[in-house]
Amino acid sequence: MVIDPNSGKPIYIQIAEWIETEILNGNFETDDKVYSQYQLAEMFTINPATAAKGLNVLTEENILYGKRGLGKFVTKEAKKIITNKRKNGKLKALLEEVALEAERLDVSDEELFDMLRKAIAKREGE
Amino acid sequence: MKLVECDNLTKRIYGNNALDGITFTLHENKITGLIGRNGAGKTTLMKILAGYWRETSGTVKVFSERPFQNLIVSANAIYVDDQMTFHQSLTLGDILEEAERFYPNWDKGLAERLFDYFSFHPKSKHDALSKGRKSTFNMIIGLASKCKLTLFDEPTTGMDASVRKDFYRALLKDYLAHPRSIIISSHHLEEIEDVLEEIILIDEGKVFLYQSMDELKEYAQGISGKTDILKPLLDDVEVIYKTEIGAGNTYAVVRANSPVIEQARQYGMAIGPVAPNDLCIYLTAKHKGGIDDVFK
Repeated sequence: MVIDPNSGKPIYIQIAEWIETEILNGNFETDDKVYSQYQLAEMFTINPATAAKGLNVLTEENILYGKRGLGKFVTKEAKKIITNKRKNGKLKALLEEVALEAERLDVSDEELFDMLRKAIAKREGE
Repeated sequence: MKLVECDNLTKRIYGNNALDGITFTLHENKITGLIGRNGAGKTTLMKILAGYWRETSGTVKVFSERPFQNLIVSANAIYVDDQMTFHQSLTLGDILEEAERFYPNWDKGLAERLFDYFSFHPKSKHDALSKGRKSTFNMIIGLASKCKLTLFDEPTTGMDASVRKDFYRALLKDYLAHPRSIIISSHHLEEIEDVLEEIILIDEGKVFLYQSMDELKEYAQGISGKTDILKPLLDDVEVIYKTEIGAGNTYAVVRANSPVIEQARQYGMAIGPVAPNDLCIYLTAKHKGGIDDVFK
């Protein structure tokens, strides 16, 4: 299940992020129609107004575009916009958290870089 | 379109103001949560909206009509709670038949499918059902009546966790297929928040907060940090909730736009969202330290 009610993140943000991930994974290509607010509401048992808000966030960010009466579609630039946004937002925030935790645990920079390198190597090996 | 309009609505019961000058407007075709502590005035408000009780002063309009003993309201609104009584001689099967005669939009197919899904027997008597089974049956009546305004007052009383989950999903699916106005009061905000579009938080007979669910989720932030650093930061700001955790640590809840959050972040304190259910408890608490104040 993608919706985590305990995450404290508003559901519409979680919906927007889920659609972004679907686009990154290639499940929706340029000019593909994404789910409607009613389909999302039904899929995740959420209020359709909340689902609509998630779609609107993506439209404002130019990741989706609307065709009147037909629904929302993926823009050409979608992947690039999402990638940039995540680099500057999510990844940066994660790194800040890592830096804080390393400080708490008194992990040296070298040790931390080493751990990160190992993590990357492990993913590449998979 | 406006569904409900209350202006300075007051209801006195035994000399107490159960509702104390409530003013708000509800628009149609939304699922609205009515949240508040025991005795906050939720049931009083719902019974007035359904036309069961008369207001003491102020004005209340439902479908632009005064609801008390109003035929238009009684035909187009249904109030469901665990005290719902049906005539003793009627079996569950009879009740469904009678409901079909009474409610013009009655959805017979849905009623029968839910009735079978929850394994009810048409020959059973309503009085003989357990608390949870009664709530489940009443929920079927509430959904299948397809009234323009459906009022669910603590609809999940006594239901087990899996029936509650089924109920929320049934409610949402039916709402998607037939959008209409639904007001639900519940003590399980964490369970219903996803299906709600907006919430009305009532406290001591007044509307404390009326917001969309998304706004409520972004209303406040929780900070935890060392008491000796955090406490001075909180001196000049609105603190919604504060408690000490362990030795020398404090957890505080402040408005999401509070300047304290940025300061706390710079000290490296943990900052996180506050669950709507907890937030509603904090906002309507009489004592800022909660039950712990009693044990001081």
